[in-house]
Amino acid sequence: MHTRKLTILALFATLALAIYSVESMLPPLVPLPGIKLGLANIVTLLLLQLYDARDAALVLLARILLSSLLFGQAMSLLYSLCGGLLCFAAMTLASRLLHRRFPELTSILGGIFHNVGQIMAALLITAVPAVLAYLPYLLISGIVTGLFTGLCARFALHCLRRLPPFR
Amino acid sequence: MNTLTKRAWLLAGGIIVLLGSCVSILWLRQGSLQSSDTYTAYIYQDGRLLQTIPLGPVAEAYRFTIAATDGGYNSIEVSPGGIAIVEADCPDRICVLQGRLSDSLLPIICLPHRLVIELRPDGSASPDASPDAVAY
Repeated sequence: MHTRKLTILALFATLALAIYSVESMLPPLVPLPGIKLGLANIVTLLLLQLYDARDAALVLLARILLSSLLFGQAMSLLYSLCGGLLCFAAMTLASRLLHRRFPELTSILGGIFHNVGQIMAALLITAVPAVLAYLPYLLISGIVTGLFTGLCARFALHCLRRLPPFR
Repeated sequence: MNTLTKRAWLLAGGIIVLLGSCVSILWLRQGSLQSSDTYTAYIYQDGRLLQTIPLGPVAEAYRFTIAATDGGYNSIEVSPGGIAIVEADCPDRICVLQGRLSDSLLPIICLPHRLVIELRPDGSASPDASPDAVAY
């Protein structure tokens, strides 16, 4: 990996970590477990557009590991990994199918799969089937927040493309 | 229409269908909610049924604390017709924000402490999650 690319990816990892930590300081939007904006996903979306899936995966893993090391407990690592990896797989596939043209759709798909992964983790950990009652709420929130982060990524990309490394 | 636009429309259509079905599921559940005068609260920890509290006979509110396996706690208040987590030392405290539970629509969940509180209308089958709940 070129030093230049390594530096840029490290910068993106830092950015994702900063966004994640600021978001975790905000009060919860709705008093339901698992519902959040997922703003750090903007960085993953950007990397899927600018580079390839491998680089995006590296930055995502770095962000998840660092954030659970810095602010989390072991439990949140499991949720983050379950949701994050499923979300990433869905977004990589969607981004490839759509030739990187529609970050909003890619992001919505990611949001849906992220929340499905979280429900699965919650089901595994609590082992109470009543947890499934949250699925419709989480799917709706995944679609709405996915659309939001997708639009953020589109606008950010518009600005980034004017900078020398991405022109 | 080229393949790419077709794919994008298909995906967008799928998402709209999913959104619509989620909204209608929520709407139907709200409508078909069994209204009952009395409920029983089931408290689970780590997937085991910890306590069963019939809310019918509760005349006066009282509190008790459940110790979490990681050393934390959830303070629970049982009041006539409802149950709530009023205090907890989990990081997000979403379980406290969820407020008082007085119907069977959505259980209260404290994910960090693996705690679930569910209400079921009296007279419905008791959950089969735990065999120790069966009275011999």
